[in-house]
Amino acid sequence: MKLKELAEKLELKAVTQLFDKEVTGVYISDMVSDVIANSKPGNLLVTIQIHGNVIAAANLVDSAAIVVTQGKQPAPDVVKMAEKAQIAIFTTPLNQWQVATKLYECGIR
Amino acid sequence: MTSASAGVRYQMVNVRPGHVIIEHEQRGQRARAYFSDEPLPPIEEYREGATTWHYSGTAQSFQFDVRDNETGEVVSFKELLGLLYYACAKEGSPIRELGAIAEENRIATYLALTYEGPDGSKSVLAPAKVRVLNRLFNERLTTPGKKILILPDLFDLYRSMSYGEIMLDFGLTSMEPDGR
Repeated sequence: MKLKELAEKLELKAVTQLFDKEVTGVYISDMVSDVIANSKPGNLLVTIQIHGNVIAAANLVDSAAIVVTQGKQPAPDVVKMAEKAQIAIFTTPLNQWQVATKLYECGIR
Repeated sequence: MTSASAGVRYQMVNVRPGHVIIEHEQRGQRARAYFSDEPLPPIEEYREGATTWHYSGTAQSFQFDVRDNETGEVVSFKELLGLLYYACAKEGSPIRELGAIAEENRIATYLALTYEGPDGSKSVLAPAKVRVLNRLFNERLTTPGKKILILPDLFDLYRSMSYGEIMLDFGLTSMEPDGR
């Protein structure tokens, strides 16, 4: 499923440009080391972390995009970093479990 | 490691979760880091010759090896402390400038930082290992035109930078007792 369609279904709010890509899976983690070790290219990264190192990790493993949960807002410098890396960041007031269930309903495994 | 070996030559294997322990020497204001795979990060101060080392902080991390699925060779990356993304480096620093130029060409630049030797000397990641790291991450990319460039620490940042700038997980060690 394309990122744009998924963002619409989950009512995610984009804080960067869309950078539409194919979402091939999901990885939920708040640890950059875990993301580096286990996330796969094309995965949607769902996290509560808004530190710049999350962008660094997502870029390294070629994440499709980042969904920041529980209404957290990344700082402008982090948004700028993501824009340059062409990785979209979305925010949602939902928690990670709620996002996970919605992604499952959308067919993302 | 969970990555499927099918279709990829290089695979991260033997992933060992643990902690990067950061410590400082009170008199000389020196700081250094090492990896511990103990369940709880060691925090006791200890003497090393005339120097007493004190615990400064912990970050969750991991060590890993990389297996070449064609040859079966397994390369250890025990000396690797972490990767520094160019955009997380200090404003105006050479790596930041270099990385910005590279990014305009869809190349994401990282510096491979290593642990210091016990005597404080710089530990260098061998060029062959740097190449393996580059192949490991690049062969998985699916975004058209994107490249990863991992460089050795050409700028000697291992001393001057804050450990917080490296991709490490600070503040996530839930098993630490209060008061540390």
